[in-house]
Amino acid sequence: MSETIAVIGGGPAGLEAARGVAELGGTAVLVEKESFLGGTPIRERYAALTPHFQSAEEAMGVLIDGVTSQPTAEVLLEHEVTACEGEAPDFRLTVTGPGGERVIECGSIIVATGFEHFDPGRETQLYGYYEHPDVLALQDLESMLKDHNVVRPSTGLPPERICFVQCVGSRDRHIGNEYCSKVCCGVASKEAIEVRQQLPGCKVFIFYIDMRMYGYWENQIYWPAQEEHHVQYIKGIITEVLKKGDKLLVRGEDTTMGRPMEVAMDMVILSVGMEPSKGTRAMAGILGIEPNKYGFINAANPPLDTVSTSRRGIFACGASLGPADLEDCASSGGAAAMKALAFLRRKPVKVG
Amino acid sequence: MPIPVEALLKKKEHFERGPDDPRSEDFHHELFELEEQGEWIVHRAPEPWVGVTTKYGNIKKIPKAHLWHHKSCGQCGHIPGYSTSIFWVMRKLGYDYNDPRDQTSCTAWNYYASATSNAGAQAAVAMRNFAAAYESGYFPLIHCGTSYGHYKEVREELMKHPELRAQVRDIMGKLGKQMVMPEEIVHYSEWFYAMRHEIAALQTRDMSGIAATVHPACHYYKLVEGDAIYDPDVYRGQRTAIVTGVAEALGAEVRNYSTWFDCCGFGFRHILVQRDFTRSFATLRKIERMKEEADPDVVLTHDTGCVTTLDKSQFAAMAHGKNVGVPVMSEAQFAALAMGAHPYRVCQLHWHSADYRPLLEKMGIDWQAAWAEFQEDLKKLESGERKFSTWDDVG
Repeated sequence: MSETIAVIGGGPAGLEAARGVAELGGTAVLVEKESFLGGTPIRERYAALTPHFQSAEEAMGVLIDGVTSQPTAEVLLEHEVTACEGEAPDFRLTVTGPGGERVIECGSIIVATGFEHFDPGRETQLYGYYEHPDVLALQDLESMLKDHNVVRPSTGLPPERICFVQCVGSRDRHIGNEYCSKVCCGVASKEAIEVRQQLPGCKVFIFYIDMRMYGYWENQIYWPAQEEHHVQYIKGIITEVLKKGDKLLVRGEDTTMGRPMEVAMDMVILSVGMEPSKGTRAMAGILGIEPNKYGFINAANPPLDTVSTSRRGIFACGASLGPADLEDCASSGGAAAMKALAFLRRKPVKVG
Repeated sequence: MPIPVEALLKKKEHFERGPDDPRSEDFHHELFELEEQGEWIVHRAPEPWVGVTTKYGNIKKIPKAHLWHHKSCGQCGHIPGYSTSIFWVMRKLGYDYNDPRDQTSCTAWNYYASATSNAGAQAAVAMRNFAAAYESGYFPLIHCGTSYGHYKEVREELMKHPELRAQVRDIMGKLGKQMVMPEEIVHYSEWFYAMRHEIAALQTRDMSGIAATVHPACHYYKLVEGDAIYDPDVYRGQRTAIVTGVAEALGAEVRNYSTWFDCCGFGFRHILVQRDFTRSFATLRKIERMKEEADPDVVLTHDTGCVTTLDKSQFAAMAHGKNVGVPVMSEAQFAALAMGAHPYRVCQLHWHSADYRPLLEKMGIDWQAAWAEFQEDLKKLESGERKFSTWDDVG
């Protein structure tokens, strides 16, 4: 039996899981397909994290250091899991990287392969993401905010009017994503505040079905956005974004007023939801763990065991389990580390 | 580190659907499973066919030949040059077809206007027509956008509801017909899109100086949307490609306008009970916007209701001094003109209201000479020298 725990994915959840394993005295091998650690916040160049506005790079740096400083944590960058043999606690995980194949003998596995942003070109095409340069997604604006360079891609000039369109790719039965992606309301509000801070002359609007600011986000983001930063929230469903002259024409229904609306904007930000990453989909197949209908990994015993999967000895955490914010990711990463180590160290109970 | 704005624009340049992307389920599995269960016969798309890509990446078979033309009520009644152009182009390309006399209306117009009918009756009408096509040995090609969209809805209803199949089977039994479902439900404009390069190869008129705006028909791509054709090279795969694909293959310049997604104004219920709304919508919301934003030489569309509404609504608006006055026609008529068709004998543009003559001149067509030829035809008909015009008469 190996006491090594393989952690697949080096984003917030995987990093916290690997750190947890190492700090609890176990041995962790973290497998990351990219050439860097930090996952989506680093790859997509997030500016500040929701809801506390810390620099994403700095916050993720702390997590990364928490793993790389551990003597019992090994990091394999640019490696992907290609096969899994055996049963817990004697898994043989084949990984492929620049140096070729390697087999990791491990007692338990933690899947932290995360999510990807919904691609608005795939289904919600009326927002014109691929047609209009000035239609962007949340992560695109993050990247601009990080550089303090929020400009209309079509002109290179700062926008005078920006709007966010909520629930793009989420809560949409028509496309099969009936679930709420949890974070988009908060992230859009956070970005709206940042836009107002960086471009005080820019008017910012958020079109929403209903704002889901759970927990403390209500006071941390939602009210300050309106009361301190004058972000305008409009309850309504946007149906399409069209080009009109050098502006974007945003059409939809103002459901409070009960009438159709057309407003001109310089930039439109699509609050795209979360979908399982390609890695998450692949791991479900390679590891033989059950996904749910959306392709996320199924937690086997909810609600109180959030990280066990359908296969003994394999655990999942973070957004590989479904839409999750960073707090959820860090929490479930820690829980997965604890469960995986407990699984390996559990002493057999003698009967009789 | 790339410059973010440039990197963002590059990322947004091209949308490509990955093989593992979630997509709407391909209905064919269920279609053939029902055949195996003896629920119906699947009418196979005959060879040769062209594979085109639908919105969610599935391949749809568009048969080239041996087609049974399910004509459109409004097309035959109001714009006969529309269907004549479809037949003419098919003949020029050398593909055989069947112009049946036993096809009925799909009756969907009244259905969508909430004026008549029920699910059983609607499905039975569709299945009767499919059975008639099957009996002829020819594969159905639907001219009308509404019939096409409606039949796709009927297909879904029949696949999902065994009780509806039982009801329709009972009706078919009384009619002495079998339960038949085509492998694909094909709109004529899909055939034009699939054939666009063959059409362009026989082009005799230069269309490069022509600017067009395209109105995609709601019932083509908003009903059972996953079955409509999308092309990564047309609008980056973000809008249905068919009419635009044909116009571009013929060398015309397709111009954008902001209300492309809007209905033409026809609206079914509106054209029946609120015609003033239809006229206002078609002109103020569609034609005026096109004129302001794109200034096209012609509006191209692919459905009966859209052609008639966008065309004939302009007459009243002109009386009010509105900025209208753009010829409207189907891409079938446009393609026929590009291939050298006679503007009156084949395309029958004299049935259209908005002035098409400047467009013909821009295409290099001497419309006065063409009209004189057409008048000669009429004289022969009036004098009894000719009982009717034949394909040989129209060239």
